[in-house]
Amino acid sequence: MRARLPDGQGNRITESADTITGVSMQTTTWTRGPCRPRRALYLSSPIGLGHARRDVAVAKELKRLHPDLEIDWLAQHPVTTVLDAEGEHIHPASRWLANESAHVVSEASGHDLHCFQALRRMDEILVANFMVFQEVIEEGCYDLVIGDEAWDVDYYWHENPELKRGQNVWFTDFVGYLPMPDGGEHEAFLTADYNAEMIEHIDRYPWVRDRAIFVGNDDDIVPDTFGENLPAIRDWTRQHFSYSGYITGFTPPDPDQVPSLRAGLGYRDDELVCVVAVGGSGVGGALIEKVVAAYPLAKKALPELRMIVVTGPRIDPAAFPQREGLELRGYVHRLYEHLCACDLAIVQGGLTTTMELAAAKRPFLYFPLGHHFEQNFHVRHRLDRYGAGVCLDYLATDPDLIAARIGELAGKPVSYRDVETDGAARAARLIAELL
Amino acid sequence: MRAGYPVSEGVVARDGVEIRYERYGQGWPVILLLPTWSLVPARHWKMQVPYLARHFTVVCFDGRGTGGSGRPQEPAAYTDAQFASDALAVMDAAGVDAAVVVSASCGALWALRLGAEHPDRVLGAVFIAPTAPLVPLLAERRVQRFGEVLDDPVGWQTYNAHYWRTHYPEFVAFFTGRLFTEPHSTKQIEDVTGWALETDGQTLAAAHLGLECCDAAATQGLAERLACPVLVIHGTGDAVRGHAEGEALAGCADGALVTLAGAGHFPHARDPVRVNLLIRQFADRIRR
Repeated sequence: MRARLPDGQGNRITESADTITGVSMQTTTWTRGPCRPRRALYLSSPIGLGHARRDVAVAKELKRLHPDLEIDWLAQHPVTTVLDAEGEHIHPASRWLANESAHVVSEASGHDLHCFQALRRMDEILVANFMVFQEVIEEGCYDLVIGDEAWDVDYYWHENPELKRGQNVWFTDFVGYLPMPDGGEHEAFLTADYNAEMIEHIDRYPWVRDRAIFVGNDDDIVPDTFGENLPAIRDWTRQHFSYSGYITGFTPPDPDQVPSLRAGLGYRDDELVCVVAVGGSGVGGALIEKVVAAYPLAKKALPELRMIVVTGPRIDPAAFPQREGLELRGYVHRLYEHLCACDLAIVQGGLTTTMELAAAKRPFLYFPLGHHFEQNFHVRHRLDRYGAGVCLDYLATDPDLIAARIGELAGKPVSYRDVETDGAARAARLIAELL
Repeated sequence: MRAGYPVSEGVVARDGVEIRYERYGQGWPVILLLPTWSLVPARHWKMQVPYLARHFTVVCFDGRGTGGSGRPQEPAAYTDAQFASDALAVMDAAGVDAAVVVSASCGALWALRLGAEHPDRVLGAVFIAPTAPLVPLLAERRVQRFGEVLDDPVGWQTYNAHYWRTHYPEFVAFFTGRLFTEPHSTKQIEDVTGWALETDGQTLAAAHLGLECCDAAATQGLAERLACPVLVIHGTGDAVRGHAEGEALAGCADGALVTLAGAGHFPHARDPVRVNLLIRQFADRIRR
């Protein structure tokens, strides 16, 4: 028997071979509207792993509020790694999606990723994936679409509003493309043009986003404008978004819980554990190489140092030199537990990992990717607000300096602002109102 | 990174010119995405190929003068008959008996010849923003003097063989601006500009002269001979080939016309979702 997708009219079509004649026949089941379960299709941006973690947390909260809600995930690697581990249901059409994470890796060079241009050059991937999404949504009788930075859905539903089905929730943790200074006037023109198009989309079709959720708070928004003659980002966002507060996806341990967490992870009290992590997108090899080169210098000054390098699901740990006392791992499920238990972390400038460290109040060094406007402006602004982390320029930092910073910061207390722990529940409540 | 890669690719040599083609996906019918003017290679179909290849077999090729295909310099190498023969050679090499033929802009001229003279190879024809010289050229283009030497040409006067030899990038900048009249088309303009700069003004001039054989009478004759289902898609904001051309072609070929209000000359690049759905719908009807 071969079950096919519902056809969008509530029908589930099944083809089976007649047991007597062997002739293939088709049967159709139509489910009465009142008898259909509530269904949501969840899209989680696969550029990095951060979205997956928070989206799983939101989905769990949403199911708590609506236990009958069925959630399908239209998802790509590496998001699927997290979803598989969490037992979430991945829609079979996911296999048709072109991989955005692989595109981002192809756009990166060393510790540099011009993410605005990478996103522009992702146009054919976005339209290909949107077409998959649209088929899924037309066949699936979904009540709700939740898109965490699902750029394709947001853009093409505004460009083709007649295609919208169900209620639509848009999530993002930054608002506004910002030009890098060395891009000059042309890049400022381009980012302003993209921002202007987005603003026009929302003005013309306010009903395409039934709910827009900013993952953060008002102060987290940069004090910039969308560009020349365009509104201030914070003012505009205030008018067009609801705020969930930050969504960590986990509750950081109290200080008195840390020793048992460390013990559970195999970290001893008499060692200084430094976790090096570069997220899930596959960009980060250059930073790992530099930190690995710093390791012997740091270890010499700090004999109790133990370094755990987490390369993520898209970088092979075997690609780096083995050194005594240095541990290289690929994908680590529940990496945040290691971050909560460490004495120091060294990471890229991605929002999720740095905010996990801010929430867990661990000292950390972070290196924004070159030309990555989100990491250099939006994330940095937010971390400064929390007073969290030490920002270093990858190009201006050599292994000696990294080793020195490890010595200064490992195991030292920090005083960051508190990060809320109810973000997922707040976001889920904002979504649940639509059901 | 591309959204999809071909399952096979190859080169056919015809009349001394190498033509590079790609084949994607599987399923019937085959969609043949024709080349357009020798300004851009087959990559101008990048927003269609991955989607269509999930449902059909897709074949496309770089038109002579572009991409990985040869760049002959004689106008005689760029007639509609030459392009139509290239399409047949590519279909033969890719093992395709018949296809739904999709064209954009002056690709319409090769599609017409193909459909009229080889009806057994064409299951249906989709014309996007067709060049169909059945009605007068857009008013703003009537200042063109292609072969004359002009002092300081501006606007459509830069559509000029002599200017292209010395100021080809400037012409490309002007032309891409007319191609995309829709606001917020920076990426599409960059794409076409990048592809256009892979060829040169001399080659494009030869390609233009090759098409001067296509007049109203010849076009009308070919269009009226089309026996297959026809769909014409044309934007009202098309500043290169006016909407009236698409309307006239649909009339001559007894085809359906879908007007894209507000759309420019390359709607498959600027409004890819709507164009993809229209092509899919058309090919699905052929499939039935």
